[in-house]
Amino acid sequence: MSNDVKTDLQASGKPQGSTVPVWIFAVTLVLLYIGGIYFDRNSGWFNAEVYAPYQTMEQLEAYQPKSGAAAMMAQGQRTYGMICAACHGDSGQGKPGQAPPLAGSEWVNAADFKEVAEIPQLGLNGEVHVEGQDWNQQMAPMGATLSDSDLAAVLTYIRGSWGNKGGAVEQDDVKALRTAVAGHPPINGEAGLKAIK
Amino acid sequence: MNANETKYSAIDASCRVPLLALFGGAALWLIVGLGLAFLASLTFHMPEKFAGCPYFSYGRIEPAANDAIVYGFALPAALGVVLWIFARLGETELALPIVPIAAANIWNIGVLVGIVGILIGNSTGFAWLEFPRPASVLIFIAYLLIAISAFATFGARRERALQPAHWFLLAGLFWFPWIYSTANLFLVAWPVRGVTQAVIDWWFSNNLLFVCFGLLGLGTAFYLLSKISARPVQATNYALFAFWTFILFAPWCGMPQTAPIPAWLPAASGVASGLMVVPVIALCVVYLKTVYGAKVECKGGPYCHAKFATAAFILSALMLLCWGCPVFGKVVDLTWFGPSQVYMQLFGFFAIVVCAGIYESLAGVMGLELPFPVFVRFQHWAFMIGLALLVVPLAWCGVHQGFKMQDATIPFSDITQGTLMSLRVSSMGWLFLLLGSLMLAANIFVMTIKWHLGVVICVKDAITAPLETQEVKS
Amino acid sequence: MKSGFSVFLAAFIGLGLSWCGFVLGPVLQLGAGKQTMVLNSSEVYPNQRPGDATLGLQVYRAYGCAACHTTQVGQDGMICDVVLAGKNSAAVSNLVASLKLTGLTIDDAGLVSSKIAAAGGKMETHIIPVGADIARGWGMRHSVAEDFLWDNPVQLGSVRIGPDLANVGLRYDAAWEYQHLLDPKSQTPNSAMPPYKFLFESAAGGSGKLVPSEDAKNLVAYLLSLRVNVPLHDAPYSTVAPKK
Repeated sequence: MSNDVKTDLQASGKPQGSTVPVWIFAVTLVLLYIGGIYFDRNSGWFNAEVYAPYQTMEQLEAYQPKSGAAAMMAQGQRTYGMICAACHGDSGQGKPGQAPPLAGSEWVNAADFKEVAEIPQLGLNGEVHVEGQDWNQQMAPMGATLSDSDLAAVLTYIRGSWGNKGGAVEQDDVKALRTAVAGHPPINGEAGLKAIK
Repeated sequence: MNANETKYSAIDASCRVPLLALFGGAALWLIVGLGLAFLASLTFHMPEKFAGCPYFSYGRIEPAANDAIVYGFALPAALGVVLWIFARLGETELALPIVPIAAANIWNIGVLVGIVGILIGNSTGFAWLEFPRPASVLIFIAYLLIAISAFATFGARRERALQPAHWFLLAGLFWFPWIYSTANLFLVAWPVRGVTQAVIDWWFSNNLLFVCFGLLGLGTAFYLLSKISARPVQATNYALFAFWTFILFAPWCGMPQTAPIPAWLPAASGVASGLMVVPVIALCVVYLKTVYGAKVECKGGPYCHAKFATAAFILSALMLLCWGCPVFGKVVDLTWFGPSQVYMQLFGFFAIVVCAGIYESLAGVMGLELPFPVFVRFQHWAFMIGLALLVVPLAWCGVHQGFKMQDATIPFSDITQGTLMSLRVSSMGWLFLLLGSLMLAANIFVMTIKWHLGVVICVKDAITAPLETQEVKS
Repeated sequence: MKSGFSVFLAAFIGLGLSWCGFVLGPVLQLGAGKQTMVLNSSEVYPNQRPGDATLGLQVYRAYGCAACHTTQVGQDGMICDVVLAGKNSAAVSNLVASLKLTGLTIDDAGLVSSKIAAAGGKMETHIIPVGADIARGWGMRHSVAEDFLWDNPVQLGSVRIGPDLANVGLRYDAAWEYQHLLDPKSQTPNSAMPPYKFLFESAAGGSGKLVPSEDAKNLVAYLLSLRVNVPLHDAPYSTVAPKK
């Protein structure tokens, strides 16, 4: 137990020194700089999807597994069931007065996938001949909000199911197509379809 | 007695009953908490001991022990010391003394409700926040009452200039209600969804154990180091810098490096952990300059305690830096290293500095000599030995655990088996800490009893004293 | 610092900044609790736990299981394997014999794939997470926020005194779990886990057998519901077994 004769404040004294030496500021700034570099490299810049060990969103996207052929058909089937089957039917048979058939459709089986790809991306209205029948409906761009992977999968599925022999559609081709037709209006009738290159 | 001593004895006397209320409850809860912690550590050596009793399963007594130590002992004792420091530094008597007395009783009821709640299975499930809702409400109310008295005393101070101790203590007092209310509102009252709960829990734990306790403890240490050596805190420019960098960087530590949260959270904590070097360096400068010019004999008294505690804080900050930094943190996360850093902070730093404050204040406040002065030194030794036996083996085995976990060929049960020897040593550590706490309690309770007896004797003498007689002139 | 108000301001700034960063930020970013889709599928993830598993989470909390167990898997990195798919010509097989196909980075995998494609072959790139937890069989990929979406309170755990439980529902069945709770040493000889005998009661009819109590049943239902081996956009991996 101590015997304080002075008051506590006499003992404490007035605060001494008014400036902090430069060297400790310099150390702080250096550490902040290093910390900034570390944060820039490893934080994913506040993206909610980037978890360690991934460092950036680009890296995460690069490591997304691209589906093999069978997986693509399965993925396409699921997407078809969610988005397309309501109007085009579970087996692509179409519904009179609502949507043309996809099974056996000459547009689906065309060698070039672009026509059948642009329809879900941009939408279609006006008169179209499908398998000898006239159809005049309006289709909203149902595929525009799908990911590249999902749209490629559903197109691959449609082109490879129910007797169709149109061939697979690659994810990268879908990506290129989307860039090429960005901002285009819905396709207008058969003339619009035939105009696609 | 010179004028100063008379003034200070009046100030001390005004703190008497509030401090007794706070310290008495704190000493009791420290014994309870350390006892529960010892029982919890026994689970590793004798798992079948409590196999039939749900109230003593490890998952209940371990959080109960932690919360008893933090909310039952650490906070109330620290608040008592803070009230005394504010009164003395301000050279004014304690304002609204009845308020902390009522608050101490509410606080003890809250802790009792909380501990019982955890033991019967009503824990909230959040680390360091396990008290069920009624208990946390009581503790929060009690805290606000004590804070009111503290701020009133601070506001009434005669010397208006602020000391370094003031900055840290004021900031520490302000810290707790914000973090405690945020944690309870976002986790218990209106829980947020999913892993956000874990983020807020980690934020709260770091801000309570490292930042809030750091501020309250450093403020107490600065006050005691300067008061006992009758010499001001040196290098106050560094102290101010340490204060600012501490409150800017330290609250951002705490996110574990391997947690299932978006990468920016552990990255921010990693940067903050690295930046903690700066306040640590500044504190080292202040500490060395303040301590190595003072001519105080270190006889195991409060000065010794305060010196040791400040050094322990620097060590605990360095341990937190290791735990939180990117590369090493990934290895030692989810091992015993984390708990060992918390124990270093709680027992090495906070408990010891608060005990220093208790011993420094108690004799003056009570106006009595300490009943067992030799216990002060013995308690210091018991705590130091207990701390060494607790922290060093757990830190060592935590690092080992971490490196072994990186090798998937080592079966997991072998890794746990490898920690058992360290856990046995840590059980001894709990025993030594418990011994120290008994000595602290002995001093406080015997002094309280003596004082009560003194009051009773005074009253009895006043009642039985012969009445004054006057001559009646006819 | 000249006045109490300036100290208050300093503390307000310090605590306020960290509150914004670590409380407000995560609540705004993660607090909406949005479900996500399983990778390359239209399944929504996660589904809510069945009723008794939700009660089991409360038993898990009440007994403080998180004091010893964690439910979070970590990951240290990712590697790629390039695997031939379908029928390939002899020329492609010869080319492949001279290339390194396993343990590649994504860029190297791209180079190898383009070499094989140039030779006319068909291949797939498999993404394989690696890490100590994954090597121990505790999970296929690191845990993410969506894994804990429906849990209240989230019991991540902080120390691994016992093994990680993130995918324990895939490793053991109900019978194993009951036996483990009753007597851990009977299944893991050097286990440090205490027996939880009080979770079991004597069977009605005085046969002397032990049956699980309501708490035990719910707890085991919760443990069996712990399975997060599902690829997601923020935790991708290829769902084919890599060839060893």
